[in-house]
Amino acid sequence: MRLTALTAAMAMTAGAAWAEEKTLDIGVSDALTGGGAVYGLPQTNAVKLAAKEINASGGIKVGEDNYMLNVIAYDDKANPTEASNAVRKLIDRDGVKYILGFCCSGATGAVASFIEYEDAVMLVGNAAERSITTREIPNLTRTRPPADYTGAAAGTFVAEKGHKRVAVLGALDVGFYASYVDAFEKELEKAGGEIVSREAFGLKDRDMSPQLTKIRGQEPDAILVVGYVEPAAFIYRQAVELGIDVPRYGFTSGSEDQFTRVATSEQMEGVWDLRPTELTLLSASENGKAYHANYTEEFGIAPSPSSPYSYDQTYALKDAIEAAGTVEDTEAVAEALREIAVPDEVVMQYLPVDDKMFDENGQAYTSNGAFQWQGGNWVFVQDLPSDAVAYSAFLSTLDD
Amino acid sequence: MARNRTFIFYGLALVGFVLLPQLISVKYYIHLCVLALIWVIAAQGQNLIQGYTGYVSIVQAGFMGIGAYSTALMGMHFDLPVWLTIILAPFVTAFFALLTGYPSLRVKGHYFAIVTLAFNMVIFIVLMNFHDLTQGEAGITGIPKPGGKDALFNWRDRETYYYFVLIIAALMTGLAALIVRSRIGQILVAIRQNEDLVGAVGIAAWKYKLFAFVTSAMFAGLAGAIYAHYQSFINPEIFGIAQSLDAILAVIIGGSGTIAGPIIGAFFVVFLPEYLRFADSFRLILYGLVLVLATIFMPRGIAGIARDLMEKRRGRT
Amino acid sequence: MVEVLQQIINGIAIGGVYVLIALGLTTVFGILGIAHFAHGSVSMFGGYLTFFFVTSWGIPLLLAILIALLVGLVLGVLIELLAYRPVRDANHINAFIVALGLTMMVEGINLELFGHEQVVIPTDFSRVFNIGGVTIPELRLYVILAAALLIAAMTVFVERTKTGQAIRAVAENRDAAILMGVNVKTIPLVVFAISTALGVCAGVMVGSLFAIAPGIGEGLVVKGFAVLILGGLGSIPGAVVGGLVLGITEALAAGFISSAYKDVIAFVVMISVLLFRPQGLMGKA
Repeated sequence: MRLTALTAAMAMTAGAAWAEEKTLDIGVSDALTGGGAVYGLPQTNAVKLAAKEINASGGIKVGEDNYMLNVIAYDDKANPTEASNAVRKLIDRDGVKYILGFCCSGATGAVASFIEYEDAVMLVGNAAERSITTREIPNLTRTRPPADYTGAAAGTFVAEKGHKRVAVLGALDVGFYASYVDAFEKELEKAGGEIVSREAFGLKDRDMSPQLTKIRGQEPDAILVVGYVEPAAFIYRQAVELGIDVPRYGFTSGSEDQFTRVATSEQMEGVWDLRPTELTLLSASENGKAYHANYTEEFGIAPSPSSPYSYDQTYALKDAIEAAGTVEDTEAVAEALREIAVPDEVVMQYLPVDDKMFDENGQAYTSNGAFQWQGGNWVFVQDLPSDAVAYSAFLSTLDD
Repeated sequence: MARNRTFIFYGLALVGFVLLPQLISVKYYIHLCVLALIWVIAAQGQNLIQGYTGYVSIVQAGFMGIGAYSTALMGMHFDLPVWLTIILAPFVTAFFALLTGYPSLRVKGHYFAIVTLAFNMVIFIVLMNFHDLTQGEAGITGIPKPGGKDALFNWRDRETYYYFVLIIAALMTGLAALIVRSRIGQILVAIRQNEDLVGAVGIAAWKYKLFAFVTSAMFAGLAGAIYAHYQSFINPEIFGIAQSLDAILAVIIGGSGTIAGPIIGAFFVVFLPEYLRFADSFRLILYGLVLVLATIFMPRGIAGIARDLMEKRRGRT
Repeated sequence: MVEVLQQIINGIAIGGVYVLIALGLTTVFGILGIAHFAHGSVSMFGGYLTFFFVTSWGIPLLLAILIALLVGLVLGVLIELLAYRPVRDANHINAFIVALGLTMMVEGINLELFGHEQVVIPTDFSRVFNIGGVTIPELRLYVILAAALLIAAMTVFVERTKTGQAIRAVAENRDAAILMGVNVKTIPLVVFAISTALGVCAGVMVGSLFAIAPGIGEGLVVKGFAVLILGGLGSIPGAVVGGLVLGITEALAAGFISSAYKDVIAFVVMISVLLFRPQGLMGKA
């Protein structure tokens, strides 16, 4: 009797010991330094935050084992060669199979061109170049929607406001910004409007008064600013300084602080931002507010509006691994990713396609929103008319 | 006597390179070696114009870009096989080098360097903005490897590509050595030491300078083309001024005006950032510091120091 | 017509910045023969420092600028002593490489100390003047005036003071200057001190009117060299004319032709000048 009880007791403790804590290394390739760091560094922090939270609640459960996440992050400096090096190092040297992050399109494109042949899963965040999800790469997913998906919704919105002559000032040498403008134009033209000019600016430009002077002379009834937040803030200020007082619409993203260090709140008053419903404190869901608070506490600075793309992708990975029941079989996990529903912990507001978070291209869709600067804050005003299902079908028809 | 010793040295080095992939177990480092060998080709070119002729040019990465985009676009638009576009790329680059070299070589020293830098910027800006041709920042993807799935070699395997690049790097190093030891090479060195004297002796220095400039550009174009078919993805970012500075650094650190120098320098330039990764934010400071200290204290580079050490040893016996 | 005038006004402000940067470059290049590539990054350091004094320590703007100037002077002297003096007698190329290395170091230091986000020096000047349809913000006007003042001061210094004349003597004929009793060892220090001071001023202007961010310094120094080449090496009037011409041409081209290739203009100008008139607009043949 005692022997059996003892044996049973030993068997039970032995069984419990087998359900051990294991570690799963996950990798992040992102711009930690350089011009892309405004996007890449917050993304990396967001992954670390998500990993910490997941570990605190027991890790990822696969069968009997709990996997604690260990994040290995490398700086790709938003440079394609560095990104390839970083990812190859993660895969070859560090034995990592799951790679997150990817803020910047050029670097991401380089990795996407070979990831298909690797035993890995690539989860893309902020990189907005459309072709990343048109090439039918089975082990790649992306949380951020392509820019033209948002551009079309924005075009419809601006047309509904009654504008017929819109002047565009954009970072047009960058593919996804140009594609936003193209999609915008299509919707605007459907409503009988037109784009009266397309002026350009670059990432390092800070003086757009020549372009704005030209636009002022054309007397548009609205202007659209499409591009990086740092120069864009100057555009909004210089527009006011030049006496332009037509409504200003934009696709720039950016926290309140990034704008107020350049322009006064009065100069920003009334500016619209037509973008995916990214994180702003006033528009956020419960998850969003919690994320904002936790991130600020952990890193001493508020999270950037686009950082949740990688926070969410970490939770998506967790759900996919648990659904597939394996950490070794990357093909199974990649398939599972395309089957899972939107996880509960995500911050962005996704529009599921067929009840799933990612469509058959591996693309997720957030809702698009119209935000307006009111009294020093970005305020969510309304949803932009977006059709994720239709766009998903459209995306599937593309080859590049 | 010295020549035999040199041959033995290079022969041993070559054997070492051939055996290298067998000794490395982690595939990642083979990837870095492939990149380093590509840089050897570019650095040998840079050495011709900077180390031997004495004109620091800051456009090598721009020429690599022209080579890379030529091979990719020729393959895409004219359906030419990879081996052909790789051979044609240096000649396309030579054409652009003629266009840029002719005005640049009318000035010397700092002015020359700044003008070449301006050309690199122009190349970069055009690559970024000429969407219809280059697809701008998005870059060109899906550049084919030299052989398809049923080719003689498995081109997906990194080792295969390593040997391919090794052969080309060795050939180009040999070519550089030939040029340098020929009469042309001697005149280039003479130009570096005293250009006015060369003119006074009745030699048309500008012809030789142009030759050095165009040849160095062709080396770069070839390196760029090989890079394109290795990574299968190119975009303008990697052909900017920062990379041209890497070419200069490789020549300085390795040993300006030597044939071994660019080889050492190329590996240095590719591997050093890897080892400086621990201090990502300090990387820039350290890199700059290395450059400054190397120029002040080891102006003849690692090859120069090695040579001095060997001389000392020989002096003792 | 209003549009043309507006573009010219737009161009003068940035042109003024180009002039200051070019002046800093031409003093070092013309007198010491060094292509001080790191000048842009050092200038931005001055701007960053001013920003830091004003925002983190609450020091009033003018005082902050003064302190930044002093720090800049010291930095300039250190750079000459530690980095350029050791390679002075070696090949010219070495000085250039040292300059490139210095640029990386200073950019790295800026990144370490001040972060990767752009900074703007806050000022209280936010009025906008409107003269017959041409608008000019208050701050822009002050930047133009300050630049003009500095250029005038520089000219007076070089023409009228003993040190200024000594500098010009060294530039024209070093050996003769030594014979005349000019202390040749201190001249480089003075030159670098002046150059860095001008650079810090440029940095403050860029920082208050626009923004300072990683990489902006390098862009400015390349434009500075374009101005140098356009105006003619070692010529102060050349730098002034060249800087204004470049700034205004960029604005007009962006306004009337295309904004996409705006930056290419500086380079095309550089290349054309070297092709057709290598001594620049106001240099001696």
